[in-house]
Amino acid sequence: MHQVGVDVGGTFTDLVVAGTDGGIRTMKVLSTPDDYSRAILQGFTRLSDAEALHPQSVKRLVHAFTVATNALLTGEGARVGLLTTRGFRDVLEIGRLRMPQLYNMDWDKPRPLVPRRLRLEVSERMSATGEVVVPLDRDDVVAALDTLLAAGVDSVAVCLLHAYVNPAHEQEIVEIIRARAPHLAVSASHQILPEIREFERTSTTVVNAFVKPVVDRYLAALESGLRRVGTAAPLMIMQSAGGVMKSSMAREMPAYCIESGPAAGAIGAAALGRVLGIANIIAFDMGGTTAKACLIEGGEPRLADEMEVGAGLNNAGQRLLKGGGYVVRTPTIDLAEIGAGGGSLAWIDKGGALRVGPRSAGADPGPVCYGRGGTVPTVTDANVVLGFLNRTHLLDGAMPIDAAAAAAAISRDIAGPLGMSVHEAAFGIHAVANATMTRAVQAVSSEIGRSPADFTMVAFGGSGPVHAATLALHAGIAHIVIPPASGVFSAFGLLFTRIEHRLVRTCWVDTRKADLARLNALAEELAAEAAEMMAAEGLSRDDSDFQLLMDIRYAGQSSELSVVAEAPITAATLQNAVAEFHREHERTYGYCSPGEPTQLVNLRLRARAREGSGAEVLSARIRPVTTAASAAAQGVSRDVYFGPRDGWKTTPVIRRDALTSKPMTGPFIIEEYDTTIVVPPGALVRRDETGSVRIDLSKLL
Amino acid sequence: MAVSRDPIRLELLKNAFSAIADEMAATVVRTARSFVIKEAMDFSTGLIDARGNLIAQGLCLPVHMGSFPPTIEAVLKRFGNEIRPGDVYATNDPYVGGGTHLPDIYVFKPIFHDGTLLGFAAAIGHQTDIGGRVAGGNACDNTEIFQEGIRLPPVRLMTEGRLNDDVMSILRLNVRLPEKVEGDVMATVAACTRGERAMQALARRYGVDVLLDEMDHLLDYTERMTRAEFGNLPDGSWTFEDFLDDDGFSDDPIRICVKVVKQDSDLIVDFTGSSPQVRGSINLPISMTRSCVYACVRSIMDPNLPTNSGFMRPIRVIAEPGSIVNPTPPAPVAARGLTSMRVTEAIWGALARMLPDKVFACGVQGDFGVTIAGYDSDRKPFVLLEFLFGTWGGRPNKDANDGLASLAVNYSNSPVEVIEGEQPVRIEQYAFRPDSGGAGKYRGGLGLVREYRLTGVDEAVLQVRSDRQKFRPYGLQGGRPGASAANFLSSGTEGEIRLPGKFMRTLRRGESYRAVLAGGGGWGDPLERDPALVLEDVLDGKVSAAAAEREYGVVIDTSTNRVDTAATSRLRQQLRQARAAE
Repeated sequence: MHQVGVDVGGTFTDLVVAGTDGGIRTMKVLSTPDDYSRAILQGFTRLSDAEALHPQSVKRLVHAFTVATNALLTGEGARVGLLTTRGFRDVLEIGRLRMPQLYNMDWDKPRPLVPRRLRLEVSERMSATGEVVVPLDRDDVVAALDTLLAAGVDSVAVCLLHAYVNPAHEQEIVEIIRARAPHLAVSASHQILPEIREFERTSTTVVNAFVKPVVDRYLAALESGLRRVGTAAPLMIMQSAGGVMKSSMAREMPAYCIESGPAAGAIGAAALGRVLGIANIIAFDMGGTTAKACLIEGGEPRLADEMEVGAGLNNAGQRLLKGGGYVVRTPTIDLAEIGAGGGSLAWIDKGGALRVGPRSAGADPGPVCYGRGGTVPTVTDANVVLGFLNRTHLLDGAMPIDAAAAAAAISRDIAGPLGMSVHEAAFGIHAVANATMTRAVQAVSSEIGRSPADFTMVAFGGSGPVHAATLALHAGIAHIVIPPASGVFSAFGLLFTRIEHRLVRTCWVDTRKADLARLNALAEELAAEAAEMMAAEGLSRDDSDFQLLMDIRYAGQSSELSVVAEAPITAATLQNAVAEFHREHERTYGYCSPGEPTQLVNLRLRARAREGSGAEVLSARIRPVTTAASAAAQGVSRDVYFGPRDGWKTTPVIRRDALTSKPMTGPFIIEEYDTTIVVPPGALVRRDETGSVRIDLSKLL
Repeated sequence: MAVSRDPIRLELLKNAFSAIADEMAATVVRTARSFVIKEAMDFSTGLIDARGNLIAQGLCLPVHMGSFPPTIEAVLKRFGNEIRPGDVYATNDPYVGGGTHLPDIYVFKPIFHDGTLLGFAAAIGHQTDIGGRVAGGNACDNTEIFQEGIRLPPVRLMTEGRLNDDVMSILRLNVRLPEKVEGDVMATVAACTRGERAMQALARRYGVDVLLDEMDHLLDYTERMTRAEFGNLPDGSWTFEDFLDDDGFSDDPIRICVKVVKQDSDLIVDFTGSSPQVRGSINLPISMTRSCVYACVRSIMDPNLPTNSGFMRPIRVIAEPGSIVNPTPPAPVAARGLTSMRVTEAIWGALARMLPDKVFACGVQGDFGVTIAGYDSDRKPFVLLEFLFGTWGGRPNKDANDGLASLAVNYSNSPVEVIEGEQPVRIEQYAFRPDSGGAGKYRGGLGLVREYRLTGVDEAVLQVRSDRQKFRPYGLQGGRPGASAANFLSSGTEGEIRLPGKFMRTLRRGESYRAVLAGGGGWGDPLERDPALVLEDVLDGKVSAAAAEREYGVVIDTSTNRVDTAATSRLRQQLRQARAAE
């Protein structure tokens, strides 16, 4: 029996196979952007040829994909029509009026996913308490629908004011559409996001409508391709919030899977932390163009309530500024992403300062040292000059490295103009890149009241382990874990996901005057709906854990905090939740006001497959990875420049399996197939029972 | 000018300073209590050196940019010789404290390391209330500053780490929402403490002397970059004027006159010729006039330029005392926001003459302030206060953004569903206003309409501060101005009546008030607009078929939804001839 994780990125498709014995095999193939499922099936065939798996023996396949994000970024989604309450068809395009870049006259609002001509109004109105103020005019709906059909739409979004409290009119519209035009994909706001705030609800519903036919086609093709190669296992899809759901459900609610890929690395870091007994983690993932940080607390990755797709690489220090992309208000693992990676370009600005990024050499032409036409020095070139990276080859010799070309480019563009030596300039590039990435770490920790010093860093991605130690030192973090298979760690993370569904319902009551019967009725509705969804995933109520959460705020505040609550809701459990809210408020915002009235805005329910129900992929047992032995020869060393304080050091170059559980004192360079781990002088390094490399920087802090 | 001998260290410290200022901003958002700070983000944070130069600014309202230097100057003047660790100074007064209006309270915390004063951590927070005759501190019908709330000259809010309760208790007693105000002020203090600690950590890491040197180098570096960019701009002088409709007391228009003079690497912005200060409270204190200048100039420069005093050095602002842009006491200033918007529009107008290929036509900022207030059936007070933004002007290479806050004030709107859940009103409409964008080769942004109906109580007070009924947002290079603004009241008995820009009256149950915002100006000759773009606008209902013919000379065959090319070129020729004949 095998479990398979498949992470599709823009350049590579990573596959990870786990056997029942806990042994793991990995495979990297080039992605096939014209039809991503082709690369997946290729990878399957190659793994099968290598006898790493038998398609028939695959028990489960977990998949993270980017087709939804791509559809949004390229604008190549469905032709969507939107039906709204009369007077409000422009809510989608007006948005929240804010822009993410101060002072920039050239900035453009994201183009609305539904042009104004396809946004039509119908006569109807609900009040804030759900009473019908104006009854639905069915003739309006029919006329609007006919207009949309004539315009050739293939997907319809419906978002009426206050539908989160009374969905009757939306339901009526859905019935009319189903009766008159059964071929249309329909997304109604009360199903996608029954939550107050009309712009966010409309935007999320429209995003769902926009990507629905695209995701539907893609997953249908992949499902049939898998059947063709003989895999009968259910295809599970990674959601933005870290759980998985059945492909059939993802095809209905793709808005919940937009950030499918990036979430997987955080899940992997959390799972590894569970095995190692580390509950508080900053996951750090650095690749060729960007670096991402995510906070994991108490074993759970922190979630954001919403995200913006296509906002570009917001300076992580300015995440407070919104408006740059398409708002999707679904729970999403909170990642701070910043434009710094191995390919980031180094340059000198008009004022004579050294800068790194945000422009990147990307995969093509890539860094100068790759010898594929790159001429501008990058972070990777600096790391080669410093000796952090192998000066002759990477990928076990598959990629030759031209260190002299890297040094010449740095000398010409940076060291010469600034009047310094090449290695000083290279170290400057490395340090400036670190300063930029510190912003991402800061955004997920100190900016929400957490001290990075209280966390362990789990570093992965092609460049993460190269920069982890210097970055951790900068942030005051003492302990680093470099997981096994760190180059394909996101795919690895997929193996640890569990089936999960998150539901929300707005109730908005004063907690002191709450009608408990009504709240319990809402909570039971949520539970019934969740049980139905879990049953559709093949999970009984006994195999599922249900957790009720309450979004509470002080009266007059504009945002809420989620706290865990007990069901059934009684005066006492509600009081406990409010007390927990005060504590969480103190922790997150630095104060609480126990005397002030509080409001319960939303009820949420998280249904998750119970651990041990067989629904999670791996048990708490990871065996060391046995990849092909790295070509790094034993007994080799090279000169590495660790900065002005330590200077040049003759540094042993070793393989991961040369480490034992007994700590050794750095410096070391640990070379692997797809990454390099830098251990600075004075740091302690060892290998633990999971095969992870552990670096202890306490003596250097 | 000193050049750092270590450009890498300078870059690292530049990043570190701005990261600290951003982290201070995050602290304010985290710990503040009011909507105006948490959601509208009406606050700023900064690091200042020991002589009062701004070193770095966090997330901010662009129009706050120039107000740290004059406020710290006032603080240094008062406390310069007795600054001690743990002190916190505060001020809000535009006349003795360097502030811009009373609701903005500035706080400063000195940063010491090993007995050396490194500088100050500073923050501004817009308070929900500051006392005075009208709640909220934004009334436009005050006639002297004494009506506008409590005035704080530079005072010690904390002395060597202890809260100075004398000051806080006076502040609490004078405001309508003491918990909120104290909470928000303490949030800005918390941000300063965060900044203080982070700067001390830098001093430990780099040493005091290096840190102080690099602060100087950063200012010089920024000045160098600014001057290099100014050097590339054409030399010369460009003037522009724009008007406010009135001050709410008289019908006289208020003139804003701007002359931009660029010589080598220096820039002068001269407001000579602008109207004298007015009776109503829309006078603009000098520190905010400066901020407007800095924000507008910043918008034509390299976005990577750091925000600090080095950028301000090559810029000189001339504003006559006693004028609308540099009032003298006791002129009221509470609603100076309206004038700041017109001032930025006038500055952009002058900059557009200098750089016609770079600057947009006039947009619509937050001219509208709407208050609906009263008592519900339980005699509990309610207040709905909204500032309505906004849309952009057409740009030299593309259309405006339809519906977007101003560059100078990055404000947000409030969800209709939340308002209806909390207030006794129903919003009947929130929508674009077709045909309101100024015609141009690149169209001006559409104005917005928002309509409020009183549903939950028998009556309420409706107060509106608005403008642009007489003077429309200007177009550029032949682009037409945007449509003018309007206010309407409809009741079952009297039908619809039109109201002036600034008014206060009773709103009765069932009556509705409709705010009609102006549209943005167009850029370039409308007859040069690509007919395909006009067609798109007509299909989207943003421009009517009639306006397409009248303004753009584009004839659309409504049976096929296509441009009638032959009819269009005939009509455009006719319009050109008619224009030439004029």
